[in-house]
Amino acid sequence: MHSGPEFSAIGFADVNYISADGTEPDGFVLGQAVAHLVASLDESLTVFGEFSATARDSEYSFEVERLIVKYDFSDRFKLSAGRYHTPIGYWNSAFHHGAWLQTTTSRPEMVKFGSKILPIHFVGVLLEGNLPSGDLGLEYKAGLGNGRHANIARAGDAGDINGDKAWMMQLLAKPRNVTGLNAGIGFYSDEVTLPDSPNVRESTFSAYAVWGNDSPEFIFEYIHSMHELVTDSSIEGDVDAWYAQFAYRLKGKQRAWKPYVRLEQTRVDDNDPLLGAEGLDYDGGILGVRWDFNPYAALKAEYRNEEFDNGGRENNFRVQVAIVLTNL
Amino acid sequence: MTRRTTIGQLPGRLRCLLYCVVASTLPLLAIAEEIVTSSPLAIVVHKDTAVDDLTMTELRSIFLADRQFWEDRARIILLVRAPKSDERDFVLNRIYDMSEAEFRQYWVAKMFRAEVPRGPKIVFSNDMTLDLVVAIPGSISFIPADKVTDEVKVVRVDGALPTDEGYPLK
Repeated sequence: MHSGPEFSAIGFADVNYISADGTEPDGFVLGQAVAHLVASLDESLTVFGEFSATARDSEYSFEVERLIVKYDFSDRFKLSAGRYHTPIGYWNSAFHHGAWLQTTTSRPEMVKFGSKILPIHFVGVLLEGNLPSGDLGLEYKAGLGNGRHANIARAGDAGDINGDKAWMMQLLAKPRNVTGLNAGIGFYSDEVTLPDSPNVRESTFSAYAVWGNDSPEFIFEYIHSMHELVTDSSIEGDVDAWYAQFAYRLKGKQRAWKPYVRLEQTRVDDNDPLLGAEGLDYDGGILGVRWDFNPYAALKAEYRNEEFDNGGRENNFRVQVAIVLTNL
Repeated sequence: MTRRTTIGQLPGRLRCLLYCVVASTLPLLAIAEEIVTSSPLAIVVHKDTAVDDLTMTELRSIFLADRQFWEDRARIILLVRAPKSDERDFVLNRIYDMSEAEFRQYWVAKMFRAEVPRGPKIVFSNDMTLDLVVAIPGSISFIPADKVTDEVKVVRVDGALPTDEGYPLK
């Protein structure tokens, strides 16, 4: 029985105060305002949209983060088309743009907004579903899409820049008898076309393990990318990036509090033909606490110690108020 | 640049704070509160639904929306009581193994990941639960066993009915 289209909306927003010992002045920063809209058109057909507004120096930038038309044939076959967060690893497709959803104030460096380490978005088709695996809870995702644009931080929204389609596969397990456990491996392949440069073959292997309960929460993710010139495979380089995050929501009367730590690292070979010149090496450690002072709002205070490839070491302190607007 | 960093090479203050935070949380652990209801909770489905028996694992999978279709490919419609009811507290404790906050965050994240078209339908009383399970094909919900009527089907859980010894939702 389906009485007609159903619509629902979720909103996210965050406001930050950042104090750093770098060259940037301390101050308040408006984070992203995000609207997530869902239209369930019948029992099987659903449209998901995610739209963001991000404060820039002189204006707001508006972005269609995701737009997905999805048809569910069954638990085993769900076919969709549109613009996605690329299902590589965990964070990129788990938390999207809702700061309230994630424990920390911001994403790990390797999957930050505008990251060049990973193709954050892709435009194409995705087949996903459960695999017959009993209590092991295996699921799969397989996608085919446009891959990176000439601006490698962006997806090919208006069309593929070359004839070589990006493809990806992910296999993950959510054991039915172990609440919160989620682990997966994935592979992504694309040919990247840069302005005035030979094409680069990109192959990325990803692996993650998550204990997703609040007490404790543990997330570990690792990616290894190989880049080589299509015309000369001897010119190649690798990228290794990982992060590990641990959080623990306190019990009893203290349960609104959730301290956390995260360590992360990114290493890019200097001779990597795609990213070697970008200066993306990074070391970071963060320590913070999240206070859920309201069911729909959280205050996070976070100390960060980061070392950038070209910018030296930096200490900064952030406070963030993150909210969700929902009737759930 | 091929330098590698270990925890031991992190700045001393950060390393110290990291250890302190982890250590300071340990004494605050408490035993989860056991929630009980006066009558066993019956899992009820629409009469035409082709299911008679579910394992506890299958039930969790359905309530978590990891499984969204019945065997006959009808979509599963999950009905959940609104906050501040004993039945909801019991289900969050025994099936979801989540707090109220974790439950909310779970469904917001599930919708945000485009894994489900909607969250569970919220019902405000046992009578409303019964009315909607009768009316909506594919629906599944829970009510105290002593409130069950002939208009809905009670599903065995791990082979047992609410009146049986060893029923897991007592």
